[in-house]
Amino acid sequence: MDAAVLAIWVLRLLFLALLYAFLWLVVRALVRDLRAAAREPTAELGRLVVTASPSGEPAPGVSFALDAITSLGRDVNNSIVLDDEFASATHAALTYRGRAWYVEDLGSTNGTFVNGTQIDGLSPIAFGDEIQIGQVRLRLERARP
Amino acid sequence: MNAASATRGLRAVGREARRIRITPRFRGRELTLLLVVSLALLAGNVSLGATRLIQAAQEAGQQPPADLLVLASPGLLTIYIAALFLVHAALVLAGRRTDQILLPTMGLLGGIGLLLMIRLPQDLAGRLGGLAQTQLLWLVIGLTIVAGLAVAVRNDVWLRRYKYTWAAVGVALLLATFVFGRDINGARLSLTIGPFSGQPSELLKVILVLFLAGYLSENRPLLVDESTKIGPFRLPPLPYLAPMAAMWAIALGIVIVQRDLGAALLFFAVFLLLLYVSTARFSFVVLGLVAFVVGAGLLYFVFDHVRTRVDIWVDPFADPNGAGYQVVQALHAFARGGLIGTGLGAGLPSVGGRPPIPALHTDFPFAALGEELGLVGILAVLGLYLVLVERGLRIASAAQDEFRAILAAGLSLVIGVQAFIIAAGNLKLIPLTGITLPFVSYGGSSLLANSLIVGMLIALSERTREPLPPPRPPGRFRRLLDRGAA
Repeated sequence: MDAAVLAIWVLRLLFLALLYAFLWLVVRALVRDLRAAAREPTAELGRLVVTASPSGEPAPGVSFALDAITSLGRDVNNSIVLDDEFASATHAALTYRGRAWYVEDLGSTNGTFVNGTQIDGLSPIAFGDEIQIGQVRLRLERARP
Repeated sequence: MNAASATRGLRAVGREARRIRITPRFRGRELTLLLVVSLALLAGNVSLGATRLIQAAQEAGQQPPADLLVLASPGLLTIYIAALFLVHAALVLAGRRTDQILLPTMGLLGGIGLLLMIRLPQDLAGRLGGLAQTQLLWLVIGLTIVAGLAVAVRNDVWLRRYKYTWAAVGVALLLATFVFGRDINGARLSLTIGPFSGQPSELLKVILVLFLAGYLSENRPLLVDESTKIGPFRLPPLPYLAPMAAMWAIALGIVIVQRDLGAALLFFAVFLLLLYVSTARFSFVVLGLVAFVVGAGLLYFVFDHVRTRVDIWVDPFADPNGAGYQVVQALHAFARGGLIGTGLGAGLPSVGGRPPIPALHTDFPFAALGEELGLVGILAVLGLYLVLVERGLRIASAAQDEFRAILAAGLSLVIGVQAFIIAAGNLKLIPLTGITLPFVSYGGSSLLANSLIVGMLIALSERTREPLPPPRPPGRFRRLLDRGAA
């Protein structure tokens, strides 16, 4: 009888232990996945959303995925072309340096504004800030996951 | 280049594409986990078999046999484990880079449920030679569904495009149950069409998530826009709140007409969670909770069956042999279980050959597990549900667009919330509402609906990027709504 009772006990504990072995393996896999996801670089660094654009090019509401360097202006060779009468051919550049975003006026005629204030030269900007180039307003947003 | 070589080139490209598509991909993590699942189920089955042998020997007044290590039901276990590995093989052959954790987790939960069904008296339910065999049949059908969806679903246009069609199907199903449903234990849950009968609310929960994912992902900007002001509240444009109000009304309707408190609670909770997931507005949740409290209060004072449930919850010992019987017996079962339980097959002193808790196999499997596996065992089971939810939310956060994200989050939250509702009900944490414990409870509808969910989650988890479907011009219904808003 003692051997039988012992066997039953061992079996019961073995079943429970295997349940937890499964959970342990799963949790280890989940943690590994999370770490891998945290290391994985996102394809885009940020987004630029058009909030106002009287000329309709770019259309309001359009959002652009950003690389480390983005040039803005009326010339067709810019990363983002702004078809606006008040924008210069090479108006401004948006750059990602280290861990922060900067906007730089490239000697435009009518100037570049961040949240309504005109900037001269290089100026840091944050997510949610609004850039105005000519009559076009663009908002810098976080990258979409 | 002449036409023939161009055709050859195209054919080569086609062959190439086809070859890439069906390259088997080894799924090592899934295989390891499935092996552990098999071992665990084997151990459980042997434990159950040995306990039964000893009990039989004690009843006959003999010494227990020397060879204790027998399987309680070798046939059923073999078929189930074989089915799990066949699904694994199908996924390997399909060669998609999909989730490898959902299938083993579902497999373990289903296996624990099967063990429980093997252990219970076989004549409780089931047309096909008893409880366990019927459950196994549904499990195998469910696993087939998982494999089918996980292998075949590569495109979600048919899901996202027809959201109002899905909603219409859901409402039709609901109305059909209202009108033609059969009453069982005072609740109108089951619908019989020809030879088939089932619980439409199980399928409805999947349809609900589909519709909400389509609706919320399309109208999110409008819902976040706060253009209507009512007193201190800033609300989205009113026409876009109509589906929200409809949802609330449907939940109330389910409680009133179907008397199905569990489904109503599940639908409303999932609806609020998804609203929060898609808009990140806590005010919606507060508003929804206020609506819930008002609705629940009204129902408590107007309807007897709601009041009975709440009164049992407040004090089950007021009528321990009548209304509170189930809950009291469940509490005793948990108490008998203690820390590590009585062991599979050793719990549940039966009353005249029946288990002491009515509806044990559908509504109270958590209490049965609590008795035979103890606190340690049910914590592991709850952990398995958490794993399912975590996987779903991870799939959601890695999804390419909002429709998929909300769909994945919703599907996994349905399982999580449902498990919580019934487990908490069993434990007298919230009033008991009859709903199944996903993958563990006996019942075809529940198993099939939850298999649909897992299959869809695995399909959604594919990591290779495919182009999203092009945006569609707004349909007639949308234009109508816009005109209403203008």
